[in-house]
Amino acid sequence: MVAFTVDQMRALMDRVTNVRNMSVIAHVDHGKSTLTDSLVQRAGIISAAKAGEARFTDTRKDEQERGITIKSTAISLYSEMADEDVKDIKQKTEGNAFLINLIDSPGHVDFSSEVTAALRVTDGALVVVDTIEGVCVQTETVLRQALGERIKPVVCINKVDRALLELQVEKEDLYQTFARTVESCNVIISTYADEVLGDVQVYPQRGTVAFGSGLHGWAFTIRQFATRYAKKFGVDKEKMMERLWGDSFFNPKTKKWTSKETDADGKPLERAFNMFVLDPIFRIFAAVMNFKKDEVNALLEKLEVSLKGEEKDLEGKALLKVVMRKFLPAADALLEMIVMHLPSPVTAQFYRAEQLYEGPADDKNCIAIKNCDPKADLMLYVSKMVPTSDKGRFYAFGRVFAGTVKSGQKVRIQGPNYVPGKKDDLFVKAIQRVVLMMGRFTEPIDDCPAGNILGLVGIDQFLLKTGTLTTDETAHNMKVMKFSVSPVVQVAVEVKNANDLPKLVEGLKRLSKSDPCVLTYMSESGEHIVAGTGELHLEICLQDLENDHAGIPLKISPPVVAYRETVEAESSQSALSKSPNKHNRIYLKACPIEEELSLAIEAGKVNPRDDFKARARVMADEFGWDVTDARKIWCFGPDGNGPNLVVDQTKAVQYLNEIKDSVVAAFQWATKEGPIFGEQMRSVRVNILDVTLHADAIHRGGGQIIPTMRRATYAGFLLAEPKIQEPVFLVEIQCPEQAVGGIYSVLNKKRGQVVSEEQRPGTPLFTVKAYLPVNESFGFTGELRQATGGQAFPQMVFDHWATLNTDPLDPTTKAGEIVVAARKRHGMKEEVPGWQEYYDKL
Amino acid sequence: MSDSGIESNDFVPPVLSTDQDENTFSFQKYSTTEKEREFYLGKYTEDELKEKIFDYYNLKGLIQYFKNHPEYYKVTLQFPDSLIHDSTIVVGILQEVLNNEVPILGLEKDMNENSTTPDMSTRKFWVLADTAYSACCVDEVASEHVQSQIVVHFGDACLNAIQKLPVVYSFGNSYLDTSKVIEKFKDQFDDHDAKICLMADFPNSHNITSIYKALLEENYKNLYLSSINPELANDKVTILGNSELEPSLKMVHTFGNRALYTIDTNFKNFNDDQLREEFQLFHISKPMDPHLLYLTTMFQSVSIYDIKDDTIMNGPFPSLMKRYKYMHVARTAGCIGILVNTLSLRNTKETISRLSKLIKDNGKKHYLFVVGKPNVAKLANFEAVDIWCVLGCGQSGIILDQYNEFYKPIITPYELTMALNDKVTWTGKWLVDFKQVLNEIEKGEEEKEEDNINGVSYNNEVNEDSLVPEFDAVTGRYISTSRPLRNITHLSIDNPNDNSSSSTSLIKNVSGGVLIKGTVSTSAEALQNREWSGLGSDFAQQDGYEEEGATLEQGIGGVARGYGFDRNRN
Repeated sequence: MVAFTVDQMRALMDRVTNVRNMSVIAHVDHGKSTLTDSLVQRAGIISAAKAGEARFTDTRKDEQERGITIKSTAISLYSEMADEDVKDIKQKTEGNAFLINLIDSPGHVDFSSEVTAALRVTDGALVVVDTIEGVCVQTETVLRQALGERIKPVVCINKVDRALLELQVEKEDLYQTFARTVESCNVIISTYADEVLGDVQVYPQRGTVAFGSGLHGWAFTIRQFATRYAKKFGVDKEKMMERLWGDSFFNPKTKKWTSKETDADGKPLERAFNMFVLDPIFRIFAAVMNFKKDEVNALLEKLEVSLKGEEKDLEGKALLKVVMRKFLPAADALLEMIVMHLPSPVTAQFYRAEQLYEGPADDKNCIAIKNCDPKADLMLYVSKMVPTSDKGRFYAFGRVFAGTVKSGQKVRIQGPNYVPGKKDDLFVKAIQRVVLMMGRFTEPIDDCPAGNILGLVGIDQFLLKTGTLTTDETAHNMKVMKFSVSPVVQVAVEVKNANDLPKLVEGLKRLSKSDPCVLTYMSESGEHIVAGTGELHLEICLQDLENDHAGIPLKISPPVVAYRETVEAESSQSALSKSPNKHNRIYLKACPIEEELSLAIEAGKVNPRDDFKARARVMADEFGWDVTDARKIWCFGPDGNGPNLVVDQTKAVQYLNEIKDSVVAAFQWATKEGPIFGEQMRSVRVNILDVTLHADAIHRGGGQIIPTMRRATYAGFLLAEPKIQEPVFLVEIQCPEQAVGGIYSVLNKKRGQVVSEEQRPGTPLFTVKAYLPVNESFGFTGELRQATGGQAFPQMVFDHWATLNTDPLDPTTKAGEIVVAARKRHGMKEEVPGWQEYYDKL
Repeated sequence: MSDSGIESNDFVPPVLSTDQDENTFSFQKYSTTEKEREFYLGKYTEDELKEKIFDYYNLKGLIQYFKNHPEYYKVTLQFPDSLIHDSTIVVGILQEVLNNEVPILGLEKDMNENSTTPDMSTRKFWVLADTAYSACCVDEVASEHVQSQIVVHFGDACLNAIQKLPVVYSFGNSYLDTSKVIEKFKDQFDDHDAKICLMADFPNSHNITSIYKALLEENYKNLYLSSINPELANDKVTILGNSELEPSLKMVHTFGNRALYTIDTNFKNFNDDQLREEFQLFHISKPMDPHLLYLTTMFQSVSIYDIKDDTIMNGPFPSLMKRYKYMHVARTAGCIGILVNTLSLRNTKETISRLSKLIKDNGKKHYLFVVGKPNVAKLANFEAVDIWCVLGCGQSGIILDQYNEFYKPIITPYELTMALNDKVTWTGKWLVDFKQVLNEIEKGEEEKEEDNINGVSYNNEVNEDSLVPEFDAVTGRYISTSRPLRNITHLSIDNPNDNSSSSTSLIKNVSGGVLIKGTVSTSAEALQNREWSGLGSDFAQQDGYEEEGATLEQGIGGVARGYGFDRNRN
């Protein structure tokens, strides 16, 4: 029983103002997938009885078994709104049919990259927050990400049933809990919101916050209650909404509204929210759970809820579920909130366009995106790959931002390394099929206009993870997504049987495609490495690799950590290296880059692709750089975009431009493999002070300059107090008070640093936040469970790179131990070569 | 001079580079003339030197050889750099002994008919030093410069077959304190039942039998010793001092230029796989890197006895895993540089032509390089090359970049053939012999043909769509430039006479490659991606740059060794 047809949906796609693209985001276990179920059920895809249990969007077997979402899943829903509701929508719409493209995303921090990929193609986000646990670390992370992508949030406070049934809270306590949660959300929103978005804080009285229970399938917004009471009392709905939240009290004697907690006689008054909204709910709960049949029936009649034949015989929780679902269906509240308060693609792309497009804002493609123009040249962003039933093939999942994509249409496929005018990473191919993504099913359609989310068949071989599709030859790429997490945990994989090697390589490719964040590459010593964001992420990836992508037994090394090499000071003397023919000399000094700038480079805010003048301005204004220096940045490294810089500080050197390419090539090479133990460099700025070049071009070619610049960089690096950096997790642990001691002892053992410890108001739960080196995090969860009797469960997310203060060149220190161990593993000489090795005397 | 003339005399030429004369830098100089001979001759006094060298190089045998072969009268003596200081003494001895003899009459007559050589009565000796490629190989080309008829090769050798000249090998009989070796051996191996193979480089091989026997007496039961593979000696190759091993030793296995022997009468023949899984190697003296890598692939483990420091080394050795990585690099490389690092090895030309065909068939571009002795700077000059494939002697002619000095990785022909396979393959073997490589190529081609017959087609499909990029397992990215020549079918080649195109540019950009006159050029592509692509290209980005350029100005005239203003000054 599907309540809508593909044709109906296709027709809606053309009316872009009636489309809502939204993602469901939250902390792990706050009930995203369960809540999504109630929407899916409304669309008639799963039966009402199973809603809340089926977790329709958890399509993988292991997702169902583990009860967590691993991959984000998209589904398109059709919804019709009542005319009077449509009237209240503040943006342009046509008719009362709406298409909602919904993406359910994972909540576990390890899979944050899936959230990023989902956010890119949506305009609004439904943030789900657990009533009891409140705003958690991942709530903050995803909210921050959403706002960074200029995505408008609405909030649903979930699991209200638990507060009522398990904690047995009073109405006022519950109100306070709600208010606190809303406030915490707003604190985050106001911190990270982009000015362009305007006021995006959430207000229950404006209907941008819903309260409910995904498991029981009910939810409500204040607007719904306001509508009821407005009719009943004959007052204005808007006014009623304002009164139903906050410090607004109703005096039943005088029948007057007041903002004071007490009446004239000093008697306490009941809060309007408690009286008009919570009261009926509390009464239902009390009546049903105390098995007062008569009272229940009376209530039902009052609330105009009628039960069918066998439903009348139900009792307890089962009855409660049926009653609440009929009284306040979750889908109604959520759909109302989504349709009314989340922007349509037309609205959203207007302010998102310049942030999405790499090219200039007055570019015709940027304007087309801004206008969400279905008749312009195609601009489509592929944000991830979704495996098909055909092994090794993928749907390219993405969104049309401008133009219309058709089956059989020839498009230019631009990979992430594509630069306009060059032909690297550029392919031309016809799209085989356009499909609608419906959870575990797909529906083919002929074409798809701007503003919609879709899947494409036949282009997966050209893109590894993401890319831009266009029909315009001059189009730039859509901006590459930056993830909040970083693949810092790595393992080496090996085949058990040498004949399986081709399968392993093919499997690694597929794995790399199927996950937005996982990295597969080869280490210095020739091992196949799989790098993920955390232990769980790696576990899932390796499982997929072994069982699915490669389908062969694998040997997996214990996890190791990726390190970085950095400097702490300026080189104590200028480093000089001579070319092999002794006719060219490079003098340089290395010095550290301030952490803020490194982070900005890593986040893509300071970007090698930006116009150098504009970039120099930003670097001068925000990071205190000298403008001339900032304009003379020769390159970023490694890979042309890392947080290491070469700055030309020479004066009047002949032929200098001629060697630029060689210097750049050498710097990429040097920063990719640092001199300490072959890890990437980070936050190293190299100032080229002077260069002496031979007068004949042949004697200053790449052969002379590349090795020399590399040596000089190493010498300068080693002269500048080299240090190593290790990745550090931010750990958040929620637990009861008695477990806190156990947490501390485990953290102490693991070089952890406690950042904060707070009790959640109104609950016995404590939240401990700490920094934990990733290197120490392996097995942390297990030890924590042991030390706290299974009461503490940590959430770990990559937070920053921390410099180890000890000298990495001294093998007796902590840093030195790490270096020696790594050098041994890579088959290098155990001793780190000194700067003298790379330094030439004049 | 007129006033204006003074002005023109004041003209200062632009400084083209910082002045570099002997004040700013000096050439490297060697201060020591001391010759280090003790480690191979043992202790000696100055008077004994000649005698020692006579014995060391087995000159007695060499003289005997020449007496038996009077037809060779133009002789080149090849020394490795480490032994070159002995050359004068050796030549002295040879001339003294051989040229005091009465020339053989018949020969003289023969020579007279051949009027090219004036003086028949003496044998002529040339010393070959600073061997161009690898010192272990016979430098045939250099010896042909003097039309030499025979080469005497001194020092350790690879015994690889060369094209045509006859060769006499004199490895030398290195001094070795066997008791020290035996002590170290006992320290290293506790298990007396372990299967251990004793091996040494050729100069030290003459001691190996005595060590072997001494160790047998120490109750090591499963010992094997290695010696020169007897199959290598033939009518063109003479090995001095290669006295037959004792008859009690039985040959059980051969590989490369070695043969394994045992005294155990219950021996069984075994194959390479058993060798790899069960045998440990004890090697006296440190082999060159490529040979060491080869040995590590042949044995379960390798221990090296370093003669100079009297120590045992168990690693780190060159790693095969790294080779595996480079093999993957080659899979996605668009341009391969074939680096010829030998001229005398047999099958070199054949290998070059087969490799180039194979590379072309795979849609990749290649260039052929001969750069003399390869070094970092020489190879880094060729930016368009993504990976180098070195053709050289397996003992020391293959460059193994142990310290990551080379800008682009270097692989062997065998590794390249594996990389050019459609399927990812890795055998764990390290073949360096050209003959074996050629066999591998042939096998691959046959398989491909079979597949074609069986209906599996290899990219014969012609369509307008772009070719699918390849996954690079090293970086984990998609590479679209791995087969520049594959796109050739999609290119419409312009008629050179067709002047309709308005552009005067020599280079033509097409999807998937850069063309110069209808030929795909990876170098032109590399140039296009450069920031600096020729004189003046760096001014294009400057503010106020004029497309038309500046007005011409009279520059300086003359040649580099003396410009106009220089000459006037003098």
